[in-house]
Amino acid sequence: MPKLIIDNREVTVPEGTNVLEAAQALDIVIPHFCYHEALGAVGSCRLCAMNFLEGPVEGLQMACMIKAEDGMVVSTVDEEAVELRSHVIEWAMTNHPHDCPVCDEGGECQLQDMTVAGGHSRRRFHGPKQTYINQELGPFIQQEKNRCITCYRCIRTYRDYCGGTDFGTFGSRNRICFGRFQDGRLESPFSGNLVDACPTGVFTNKVFRFKSRVWDLQEAPSICPHCSLGCSTIPGGRYRELQRVKPGINRETNGFFICDRGRFGYDHVNHPERPRQARLDGQQATVDAALTAAAQRVRQMVEQHGPDSVAFVGSARTSLEAGALLAEWAKRTGSPHLLFETHRERDRAARILVDRLGDRACSLAELQQSDLLLLIGTDLIAEGPMAALAVRQAVRAGAQVVVIDPRPIDLPCSCTHLPVGPERLPVFLDTLVTRKTEALTDAERNPLQALLEQLDAAKTPALLGGADLLGSRGISRLLDAAVALDNNERPVRVVGLLGGANSYGGALLTRSPRDFDTLVDDIQEGAIKALVCLESDPYRECFDPARAQAALGRLELLVSFDCTPNLAAQRADIFLPSRPVAEMAGSFINNEGRLQAFEQVIEPGISIRETSSGDHPPREFSLETPGALPRPAWQMLAQVLDLPGDLPAIRQQIATADERFDALTSLTADETGPRITDPVVLPDTAPDELPQCVPGETLPLLPVQGFAGSDWLAHLSAPLQPLEGEPTIWLHCDLAVRLGLAEQDQARLTTPLGHCHVTVRTSARMADNLVLVPHLWGTALEGLVPGGRHIDCRLEKEVNL
Amino acid sequence: MTDYTQVLFKNRRPGETASLETYEKTGGYEGLRIALQKTPGEICAQVKYSGLRGRGGAGFPTGVKWSFFPADQPGEKYLVCNGDEMEPGTYKDRQLLLADPHQLIEGMVIAAYALQAPVGYIFLRYAYEDCSQVIERAIAEAEAAGYLGKDILGSGFSCELHLHRSAGRYILGEETALINGLEGRRPNPRSKPPFPAQRGLFGRPTNVNNIETLANVPHIMRNGNAWYQQLSAPESSPGTKLFGLSGHFNRTECFELPLGVTLREVVQEYGGGLRNGKRFKACLPGGASSPYMTAEHLDVAMDFNALEEIGSRLGTAGVTAFDEDTCMVAVTRNINRFFARESCGWCTPCRDGLQTISWLLDKIENGQGTEDDLTMLHDQVRNINGRSFCALAEGAMGPVEALLRLFEDEIKEHIRKGKCPFG
Repeated sequence: MPKLIIDNREVTVPEGTNVLEAAQALDIVIPHFCYHEALGAVGSCRLCAMNFLEGPVEGLQMACMIKAEDGMVVSTVDEEAVELRSHVIEWAMTNHPHDCPVCDEGGECQLQDMTVAGGHSRRRFHGPKQTYINQELGPFIQQEKNRCITCYRCIRTYRDYCGGTDFGTFGSRNRICFGRFQDGRLESPFSGNLVDACPTGVFTNKVFRFKSRVWDLQEAPSICPHCSLGCSTIPGGRYRELQRVKPGINRETNGFFICDRGRFGYDHVNHPERPRQARLDGQQATVDAALTAAAQRVRQMVEQHGPDSVAFVGSARTSLEAGALLAEWAKRTGSPHLLFETHRERDRAARILVDRLGDRACSLAELQQSDLLLLIGTDLIAEGPMAALAVRQAVRAGAQVVVIDPRPIDLPCSCTHLPVGPERLPVFLDTLVTRKTEALTDAERNPLQALLEQLDAAKTPALLGGADLLGSRGISRLLDAAVALDNNERPVRVVGLLGGANSYGGALLTRSPRDFDTLVDDIQEGAIKALVCLESDPYRECFDPARAQAALGRLELLVSFDCTPNLAAQRADIFLPSRPVAEMAGSFINNEGRLQAFEQVIEPGISIRETSSGDHPPREFSLETPGALPRPAWQMLAQVLDLPGDLPAIRQQIATADERFDALTSLTADETGPRITDPVVLPDTAPDELPQCVPGETLPLLPVQGFAGSDWLAHLSAPLQPLEGEPTIWLHCDLAVRLGLAEQDQARLTTPLGHCHVTVRTSARMADNLVLVPHLWGTALEGLVPGGRHIDCRLEKEVNL
Repeated sequence: MTDYTQVLFKNRRPGETASLETYEKTGGYEGLRIALQKTPGEICAQVKYSGLRGRGGAGFPTGVKWSFFPADQPGEKYLVCNGDEMEPGTYKDRQLLLADPHQLIEGMVIAAYALQAPVGYIFLRYAYEDCSQVIERAIAEAEAAGYLGKDILGSGFSCELHLHRSAGRYILGEETALINGLEGRRPNPRSKPPFPAQRGLFGRPTNVNNIETLANVPHIMRNGNAWYQQLSAPESSPGTKLFGLSGHFNRTECFELPLGVTLREVVQEYGGGLRNGKRFKACLPGGASSPYMTAEHLDVAMDFNALEEIGSRLGTAGVTAFDEDTCMVAVTRNINRFFARESCGWCTPCRDGLQTISWLLDKIENGQGTEDDLTMLHDQVRNINGRSFCALAEGAMGPVEALLRLFEDEIKEHIRKGKCPFG
């Protein structure tokens, strides 16, 4: 731990810290552009000059390029350093336009801060400025090249950190600019990070453009609800409209960046069809009346038909607090039926992971330190995009990546990919556990032998698997493999990609040994007569929606708490409008067991622009805000249970009842979050056999998640619509030839669910004899839910008449 | 003109490139035979004690550079010849290649053996079409004769050389930018450390030397250090040097002269005085990035140390002369335009600072300059010099700094008269 003196103050910093960071540790803020904690230092901007008075390095130096060492005496206020900083900022501003009053970066322009901090106030250069023609970069990013100060942060973020390839540095000298080779949508699923990386207004958020000045935004730390990784976010809203999301900083999870699904998926909050009104038997009702009715009818049902006649079903987007209260409700009724996932395999996989993960849990920060990563049955870009970025950082540090998956996996880094059919995944997992290779084909044996050797030699190996393709059996075998591959020197870490933001928390709360598919049997038989849905949609989110929908029609009572226009909300006898993450405080537990709190960003209500239809302010005056009735689910459930309705009290109650949640009482939204790793004894969660796929006359069809369009909340977000595209299927090139199909052909896909029209995509990097279907909400493909047994299908080329 | 010993130019004939046969007749590849009898360490030591200094401009002792190279480290190691020769006023490497190219091939094979870096790249300026043909022919001849390729002269040592033609930017003369360019990346310089000797081309140990530097090595091997050192007078700068004359000289040719000849001798004997009998006003002694020398420096010895003592640099020894009618503001403006244009754009002082200086010099030369501009010029130089990422901007400051130091009166005259006094 080097100890040095900066501006006559002593500071001790960890080995490897640079002097700029050491100064920051003393709260000495020195302007800088090219240095960024996640991107490192490259010494290009020449702004962070300090004078090194004594020690191993002497003279004026760029502090970001010098590692802190014992005995250094450094001055940041030295005359020469101050003069240089003011010159560098003057140079940087040479070509910068004076459009600050109309610039979208206004209010969060780092260039403005650095200009003031650097001491440049009067323009001396009066020559012509460099100007550029802007590019059309797609729906997310607005480019204004003239504002560029050539700090290289965008290229280092987009290419180096995020692994994008369609963005580059063009030109030289003072004619450098950054962009695509030609106009077109930025292809990286992390493109939005350009907005945060750029210190000024070259790359701004096109969706958020002209909506608000950032100082008018209501902002609060939050957690992204769009996958199970629990990335930290800072949503911002105004006039009751959620207007943007930027990344929060959590060094254990997302670091400084987020994916485009997390950044642009927020608009479900503003969805025009979002149900905001409580309903009772088809009539509008007050929330209080609907809650009273719900409590009463559930009680009556239990009295008449026994506790087994009521089932409670939460979801992976239910907050931990609401989930715990739902569990309390179930407990009070005596009902044994409590679940937090209507999708059978995602549910069981989550429970098995929670039960067995323990100290193998691996944060994204830890994942970056891995030297060997095996990704089996997971497409990280779809199932946990920021994990793909963590994998990339590991690769940049020298790690090897092996992918075993039927899909044409596109990671933002190099990897070895074995594209095998889903039916081979259990065989590979068994081989990792037993090291017996008899079940492997000749072609499979060598790569797997090599993989086993690599795993044995690795110092910090990690296994990553997805709940959808592996299922409960696969996740269980993945954990077995980790145990088998442990050695005295190191454990093998495991990352499981789960169904949603609070899958882990839901699994912790689950009491029923049963899964939703067996509950459907009970509903079908009339044994379960009432269903309470908490932010879940058993009509469409289970694996077999057709079967579920037939059974659910027999229910005598359907209660739904939700904030989205889903089928359960539409069909409920009693509907209660709840709030999405941005409109309430609460907490989630991510896929590694990390408990994280989020704060309320905005109040609910129909945004002013929507009510005014062009003429502002609204002409109808009311004491009540339109559309402001939704309440946090935990508040409504507390009312049902006759508990205090404030969050601290609810958290206290949960922690008292269950010591695993002790940390809830002191949790704040700006911390990295404690990990809940206590082994949990759950009811029987014996894993199922993995689906076996026997190649026959029909084609096996495998529904999988896509980056956009498969996440329900993201699907409801208008800005992400351009990414969803048309219904598509993927085929191996050879299979396509055998079927007489070619890339971009239109085809007719026939499944037991019916017919639909799809565009054919082909790849040589995927498993043969398999039809991959990216799940797409709002299309004919929405019934093809990923994560379960394969379906047989037929494909025929569409003939244009 | 004194009849100085010709080493690098001994086979130079007008309009002719020495063949392998000619080269061999004058002792060619004897140095290689001698070197292959020695251990790599012995060669490095000999080059170090010969006192050979880099001919690319910096004048760093070649043997010392070689001694940093991890020759015994296993794995790939590379030798790169810097033939980017883009310093304005510099054309000596081209003359050398067109005269007697096998000196470079032989020098590279010896260096490759001494450094145990059996793969070499010759990185050549994009415009040197004639040189590239000459090199390709020389490589083919050397391979056919067994001086290059597998098991050279039965020694067991193998070496391959590749010619790579640059896409052409001045910055590629900077060795780490050159390495990036050779890898197919943007030629931005890399930060040092790690130095190329630790992590260079493709992340492997790499040694980069100038063409003329490498061409000296065979002669040192063949004739020994004592011979080499007696070629010139100053102990600190042994050997001969190719001086490329340009500008207002009567004779703009390239001469091989011993280091330490006086500027007066270069100007009067070799340059033949200035055009139209004009008086010598100033010169760039070693390319556009070397600070000016004036008439008062005519008796200074042209060697590395002596020029540093008077605030200039020998650089590439490309001497560009300016006569008494030359406006030094205009000269400096021209030179600075070149550097501003050739900045790679990586660091702020070079990218935008050189542009600012161009703007200031334009203003002054056009008669719109003010005293404030002169002050600003001073503060620009002060804050660019030594503050940029690589040596490009520092080199660019050479003439600007010298303009302010030696010709401030001339600048002030521009400001006072509101026009260029030279019309």
